[in-house]
Amino acid sequence: MKRLKFSKEACIGCQLCAQACSAMHEGEYSLSKARIGISSYYDKGKELKYLDAYCTLCGICAKNCPEGAIEFGDSLALDSGKCTGCGTCGPACPRSVIKYFNEKPLLCDTCGGAPVCVEICPHGALKYE
Amino acid sequence: MQGYQNSVLRVDLSSKEYTSEPLQMEWARKYIGSKGLAIKYLYEELAPKTDPFSAENKLVLMTGPLTGTVVPCSGKLAIASKSPATGTISDASIGGHSAVRLKYAGYDAAIFEGKLPAPGYVVIRNDKVEFKDAAHLWGKGAHETEGLLSAEYGHGAGILCIGPAGENLVGMACINSDYYRQAGRGGLGAVMGSKNVKAIVVIGDGGVKIPNIEKATRRFIEIMKEDCLQEDNTFVYDCGTTAFLEACNDGGILPYKNFSDATDENWVKYNGDVLLASKAGKRGCASCALGCGNFLKIGDATVEGPEYESISAFGPNAGVSDPEAIAKANEIADDMGLDTISAGDVISWAMEMTEKGVHDFGIKFGDAAKYQEYLKLMAKREGVGADLALGVKGASEKYGGEGFALHVKGLEYPQYEPRGSWGMSLAYAVSDRGACHMRAYAPNEEVFAASIPPYTPEGKGQMVYGLAVHNAIKFSLCVCDFWATLEKGMMAELVSLVTGEEWTEEDMNAVGERVINIARAFNQREGFSRKDDTIPGRLVAEALKSGPAAGQKIPQEAFEDMLDQYYGILGWDENGMVPGSIIDTL
Repeated sequence: MKRLKFSKEACIGCQLCAQACSAMHEGEYSLSKARIGISSYYDKGKELKYLDAYCTLCGICAKNCPEGAIEFGDSLALDSGKCTGCGTCGPACPRSVIKYFNEKPLLCDTCGGAPVCVEICPHGALKYE
Repeated sequence: MQGYQNSVLRVDLSSKEYTSEPLQMEWARKYIGSKGLAIKYLYEELAPKTDPFSAENKLVLMTGPLTGTVVPCSGKLAIASKSPATGTISDASIGGHSAVRLKYAGYDAAIFEGKLPAPGYVVIRNDKVEFKDAAHLWGKGAHETEGLLSAEYGHGAGILCIGPAGENLVGMACINSDYYRQAGRGGLGAVMGSKNVKAIVVIGDGGVKIPNIEKATRRFIEIMKEDCLQEDNTFVYDCGTTAFLEACNDGGILPYKNFSDATDENWVKYNGDVLLASKAGKRGCASCALGCGNFLKIGDATVEGPEYESISAFGPNAGVSDPEAIAKANEIADDMGLDTISAGDVISWAMEMTEKGVHDFGIKFGDAAKYQEYLKLMAKREGVGADLALGVKGASEKYGGEGFALHVKGLEYPQYEPRGSWGMSLAYAVSDRGACHMRAYAPNEEVFAASIPPYTPEGKGQMVYGLAVHNAIKFSLCVCDFWATLEKGMMAELVSLVTGEEWTEEDMNAVGERVINIARAFNQREGFSRKDDTIPGRLVAEALKSGPAAGQKIPQEAFEDMLDQYYGILGWDENGMVPGSIIDTL
């Protein structure tokens, strides 16, 4: 199964991945509505650090969903009809990837197997393989 | 037009009140955003002769329609005000993440008016603004300040802050963001300091919508790969602007010992190969595709860059060839909140003053240790630093040495020697904020590509005009200068895609010329004219001694010829005045 892979050595912290993700899924360039959260920052100006919240398709969110609303196969899919917005999946995600919009979780669907975050990543920090 | 938030945040620091108002969309149609639109607001809102340090001066943060989108290299923020260094309009383009955060907070712009009653900082959190006490931050370096604010507001916040130089109203004080990015020139940090604003923190949780966003995003990715990420631009990922060092030395335009010559035989000691061997990471700005930032740890210095300008100012132009000392000076200047170009030039001038016996500033060429101490003294206006904080114009008026004081309108010279690139003397002279290499950059044509003969006034008016129009558009979008291959036709396409309205290359040209004219009209209203479009005496009187431009100096009549050409193309009169018929259209 293909998964997202991230190499911080090639990341410049531009956040184009998150901006493109929210554009394609929510119709808006927005970091808070993205299904990926990769960034870098200077810790007190002295160390370059990275936040690497991206979905590795571990499936823990699906396993923890009390309603069985998350379908887990080659990617994640939300059954909005079943989802009650209980907020269980987000805290369960070991990489803190899942944000909520209108009380529903924003799950990485790998853009149907051609993730736009990978396509836009300018220096190949994100791969899907 | 779409692509805008159609909202301007107006912050009254004196009363600690804030309002939002619709963006003047008819102005946006004429100036697009960022540089041009910020200048338009200030032209309309600042009374002539406003004291730059008075509460009546305003500080404008302006984004553009591309800000917050995935247009590559669109994450820069224009900051503009009336400059305390020059008395002209002054806008700077700062990197980092603040522009995108401001747009995502819901604003195209934030305009700061008045003055806080006591040192404070301002937090823009989406549609709310908070005014905070900064007693615990005042006096601290920019790096420590940003670290403390990041700890409190998170690494996702955009932070703009000043160092001691801004607090002490030093005319070469910059605004810092992301630790190592600056709105460097013209003393914008001192304007912030005069308003008692230590920092501006921006938290933006919203977003930006544009028409047909999926299709547009696909096109932006295509443009990024086909145009932006090509070799002519990606060298900045590999080596930042350190690459210019070799090119400028080979071309005979690398300033040496206060512009007394234009090559340095020691350049290999501090070139990109040496500095980047200490690279500890890479970082770009928000929405950046290129990633010019090289995070270095060298000696006891931690710095991003160093940029060519800072290397040259603290290196060859100061007679220093120790890479660790150059990087350390860069770190100290950033932390103190000093523009590296102006701070570097004034110390190099003081070194020459001392060596020539005109006035003893206690520092000579090559004195790297004292150099670092002098930067701190300047930021605090202590001891000899109080005089140097006047800048080369102010200090040379007090102590002499005006013939080798390299500035225009009080803004110190960037690190490109015009005797090897005559068009650059014109570009510096007519730049809207004093001597600036970002308004029109001649060395590409005259030296690196060598497509135009460098040692002649012929054709230089047209060349500088074309370059200036191009950059005026680019900085009004606002797109980073490092996307160097971006042509006007593509700029028109980008603006069309985000606004949903058809823009043509002709429209872009009209915007560019309008931006040049309104900046000139602003300065004209302040009393500036041809008499202020000057060339430093050294460039006219002294020939270069080494390099391909050895023997070159710029005759005064050649310089005047270039001015005449430039004024003529823009329809200005022989005194460089914008006629009323043009002003009426701005």
